[in-house]
Amino acid sequence: MTTLPTSTSGSLWRQRRGLILAYLLVAPPLLLMVLLIFVPAIQSIARTLTTDTTGEAGLSFSRYIAFFQDPISVSNLVFTFQVVFVTLLVIFIVCFPLAIYLRFAQGRIAGAVQILVLFPLFVPGIILCYALIRFLGTRGTLETVLSIFGFMDYSTPYLKPSAIIIGLVWESIPFTVLVLTAGLRQISDSLIESARDVGANDLTIFRRIILPLITRPVLIAFSLNFLGIFGAYTVPYLLGPAAPQMMGVFMQQTFGQYRRPDEAETQAVITFLICSVVGLLYVRTVASQRIQQEDAE
Amino acid sequence: MLKFKLLLLCLLVLLVSATTLAAQDAPSEIFVYTDSDTNISDWWTNVVIPAFEAEYPQYDVVLTIVRGVGGGNADIAARALAAMSTGDDPQVDYFETIGVDSVAEWIENDLFVEITADNVPNIANISDQTNRLPQEIPYRGSQVLLAYNSEFVAEEDVPTTYAELIAWIQANPGQFVYNRPDRGGSGAAMVTRAIFEVTGQDPSLFVPGEFEQDLVDQFPEAWDLLASIHDSIYEGGAYPAGNTPVLELFANGSVNMITAWSDQALQALNNELLPEGTRLTQLQDLPFTGGYAYSAIPSNAANLEGALALANFVLREDIQASVTSEIGGFPAINWDLLSAELQEQFTSVITDTVPTWPGGEYGSAMVEGWYNNVATNIDRSS
Repeated sequence: MTTLPTSTSGSLWRQRRGLILAYLLVAPPLLLMVLLIFVPAIQSIARTLTTDTTGEAGLSFSRYIAFFQDPISVSNLVFTFQVVFVTLLVIFIVCFPLAIYLRFAQGRIAGAVQILVLFPLFVPGIILCYALIRFLGTRGTLETVLSIFGFMDYSTPYLKPSAIIIGLVWESIPFTVLVLTAGLRQISDSLIESARDVGANDLTIFRRIILPLITRPVLIAFSLNFLGIFGAYTVPYLLGPAAPQMMGVFMQQTFGQYRRPDEAETQAVITFLICSVVGLLYVRTVASQRIQQEDAE
Repeated sequence: MLKFKLLLLCLLVLLVSATTLAAQDAPSEIFVYTDSDTNISDWWTNVVIPAFEAEYPQYDVVLTIVRGVGGGNADIAARALAAMSTGDDPQVDYFETIGVDSVAEWIENDLFVEITADNVPNIANISDQTNRLPQEIPYRGSQVLLAYNSEFVAEEDVPTTYAELIAWIQANPGQFVYNRPDRGGSGAAMVTRAIFEVTGQDPSLFVPGEFEQDLVDQFPEAWDLLASIHDSIYEGGAYPAGNTPVLELFANGSVNMITAWSDQALQALNNELLPEGTRLTQLQDLPFTGGYAYSAIPSNAANLEGALALANFVLREDIQASVTSEIGGFPAINWDLLSAELQEQFTSVITDTVPTWPGGEYGSAMVEGWYNNVATNIDRSS
């Protein structure tokens, strides 16, 4: 507090006024979230449980049973999980070294790398897709370059699951590197220097100091990337195979093309529940950080 | 100073004469509305309107592009209907494309003028395939074709029937591709043609707005047919998500045969985007699906006379030839009215029939059936 209280009643009033103002400021977004997200989500969940596949009312799990009994729906869900986990793995393999490099390196090259890493942020998904089609596709740039070096057995990932992973990794790099670098910057140079003074090598420093201190940024990057990838649409739709499909494409297809809104709703609720588990992980990670910070203060 | 006053006077005179001229011209403005794609609105701006105004100096065509604005032309037609009930000027004389029966009230209230040889003489030249309602002015069409690279496909091997096409695909694995049926008409035509194939090659069985379960029960035969070529499609069964990606695979030589929209293929050819050896052909037993764009004139149009003159003009041989040469469409009048040279050029793609696919519930059954039986190896019944 920078202002000094003049009298107790005055400060109480000011405090209360600040509180009211705070609530007033928070109210519109909160109201918007409740009305546009929570209410429809709860309505959807209720609808999938209170009407069965034939449209009859009454508590029933038949819509979910139908989903999990249909091999195509299940294969799409499993496929979505596979793509999400492989993509996340590749994202961390690519982004960790980048983040560590950007944290500790200085100079012109580091600046250039920083700009390159952020570049995907400014490329719309659909442009990325068409660029990747031209780059990775049959007789695309990559195949041409490889053939110059005598590599002739190129098989294009275009319209295969690997193309989805490549596209999604490319899209996720800037955000992941930003979060990881921000986490790494919280580790002070003096901490690392003192560890080095007592004889720790780079690997030990990474294992014993860096890794434990950046679990939180890793969890944040993991959960937010998970949510983005699980519901991805443009990349899997333009670069991926016609079957199996990721849930985003599958839902749109079921709703818009097959004209089965009920089934699409069930798929949406299943997706929503899976994502909310990961969302909870994110909220807990952020909340525990707050509590620790408050304790520290 | 005198010079300045003189200049001012001249300007004033110009302004007055311009306004009086504009006032005289006002009744002869023809308000045209279009919500079609850029290639069509560009063609109107650069070709159709200048040619028409050169021919009919008394008219001034005002083209308004409502593409992507609300409901497009349908909104303007709704406005015309509202103006009809109040007796106001609808401020529209000509719809470049509109579904005259897409709203029941439009037909009930006779919103559109019936076109006969009396008010639009050239309507007599219209091809029977256009299958028009009395209010409709069909004036350009497009149809799905086979495009192939003649450098790699020998003349005698070019399929002329659907059965031959299937056999060619199986004999040349990886050389053919079509897109997912819900992501573009060229791929959908490949799938609907399979459905027509197994239901006796008679598209007239499929009536828009109706739903015959008997017909849908025969769809699995079409899935078997398409599944039999699945492994022989590009990359062992990879289906791109649109007309353009398919054209691109053909353009860079990844495949040597595709299904393609006539207008997109012809335009790409004109722009030299496709290989030099590209040829277009149509199946001779039953062609792929296609369709026409229909114009219409509101019956309360302020400039009815001008609109009818415009309708007659777009059906003239030279504009119909321009439909083919400029926008890669098909003429709506009979091909034999066009120049021998143009007929010669398109001889392999000229057909007597342009089958249409009804869409609606048949469409959903087609798309879902294809995804569940052709695109995937998973057996749903197991």
